[in-house]
Amino acid sequence: MKLALDQYAHLDSPLHCWNQQLKLIALGGLIFAFAFVETLALLPAMVLITAVLYRLSHLPLHFLMSRLRYPGIFIAVAVVVLPLVSGETVIWEWGGIAIRQEGLLSMLLIVTRFVCILTISLILFGTAPFLSSIKAMRSLGLPRIIVDMTLLSYRYLESFGEILTTMQRAMKLRGFDIHRLSRHNAKRLASLIGSLLVRSYEQSQQVYQAMILRGYSYGLRRQHAGLGAALQEATAPMQFWFWFTCAIALSLIIAETLS
Amino acid sequence: MHIPDGILPPTVAIGGYAITGGMIWYSLRKINQYGDPSEQVPRASLLTAGFFVASLIHIPIPPFSIHLILNGLVGVVLGYFAFPAILIGLFFQAVMFQHGGLSSLGVNAAMMGIPAILGYHLFQLHQSFPKSQRWTSVFAFLAGAGALGLSAIIFTVLVVTTIPADMNATLERNAIYLGLAGYSVQALIEGTFTTLLVSFFQRVKPELLSHSIDK
Repeated sequence: MKLALDQYAHLDSPLHCWNQQLKLIALGGLIFAFAFVETLALLPAMVLITAVLYRLSHLPLHFLMSRLRYPGIFIAVAVVVLPLVSGETVIWEWGGIAIRQEGLLSMLLIVTRFVCILTISLILFGTAPFLSSIKAMRSLGLPRIIVDMTLLSYRYLESFGEILTTMQRAMKLRGFDIHRLSRHNAKRLASLIGSLLVRSYEQSQQVYQAMILRGYSYGLRRQHAGLGAALQEATAPMQFWFWFTCAIALSLIIAETLS
Repeated sequence: MHIPDGILPPTVAIGGYAITGGMIWYSLRKINQYGDPSEQVPRASLLTAGFFVASLIHIPIPPFSIHLILNGLVGVVLGYFAFPAILIGLFFQAVMFQHGGLSSLGVNAAMMGIPAILGYHLFQLHQSFPKSQRWTSVFAFLAGAGALGLSAIIFTVLVVTTIPADMNATLERNAIYLGLAGYSVQALIEGTFTTLLVSFFQRVKPELLSHSIDK
């Protein structure tokens, strides 16, 4: 299992240079502003902002395209079904199949919001190492338990993914046919999942002991640098782009509220 | 069963974050009530990673295949750590595989996490009955199937009623019934796998079921 989330974190672009805390707030605000948009007239502005930011990030286009493929089914269903079943104004009809205007516009709204939000999310987490993003969240006030759990889980995801692949390969070599569901196969699959979880549990005991030896204790560190500190550390251009992006997000929300 | 970005209206997305924030506060309060959680954090974290990877296994239901959600089992094994674990798992799914999304993360976490906590409490009820494998299996099944069933109801109702379009009421109702019929099959499968896994843990690693922080 290759996560490859931050494979382009080493590039040199204005967005890569941006302080991750400021980026989280500014682009996070933009994501919520996009989610807020329900007026079709604002969609071109959303697309333009997204395109400019993606261009500035220097992330390759195939990275975006490969990521858009994964969640396609749900959106594909919305694209196919909504224009057929939603609304009353028929704009095109052929052999009993009618395309309705209201459904078509809803589909356009959903797909545009989806693509824009997903692209901004990719820019947010693809232009910095994942650990920097987690540290930035911590400094912005994310609870310590959540941060520790996120870091530790992330650390072991690939390792457990490889264990699972090895176990599945071993089962296959012993003649297990994964394509057939039977009571016997269900038990084997449950044993596979159970073994994976037992291994996770056993490894956690070793990890805990290793962490204790290195001085880990919950509640010792309390670091809340916050937004103020991040702004103080940031250079003048970074601060400008931060406030500029926040202003764009706010403008979209105001425009949506007024329309 | 993830609601992607762009589907939900903003009020629902913000409401989802508010509920998730409240549930995280409540879960952390419960976790901290039982002393220093240092030992529990590595265990919950690695099991979170384990559950995440386990949920990638495809179960063949010809002509399709499904992947397990396992939120009931997460509740049974992790107790109040289940909600943070599910939130983290969904966050990984959103940023790594683009399943779900950042704007809908709050709704997705509440949709999967609250049933997981209910599944945990449901499973704990087996202790009120005579100690036997049968009762443990019954409550394990109820926890697994019930948690998935509740998540499916929330998911289907949310998606069908909040899509910004004018669907007629009959069509909307039929879509909900159709969605629930499909998920009821998955609920039975989840319940069966939760039962099989609880039985597996009892034989191989009973500590996995006895470490819940409520004890």
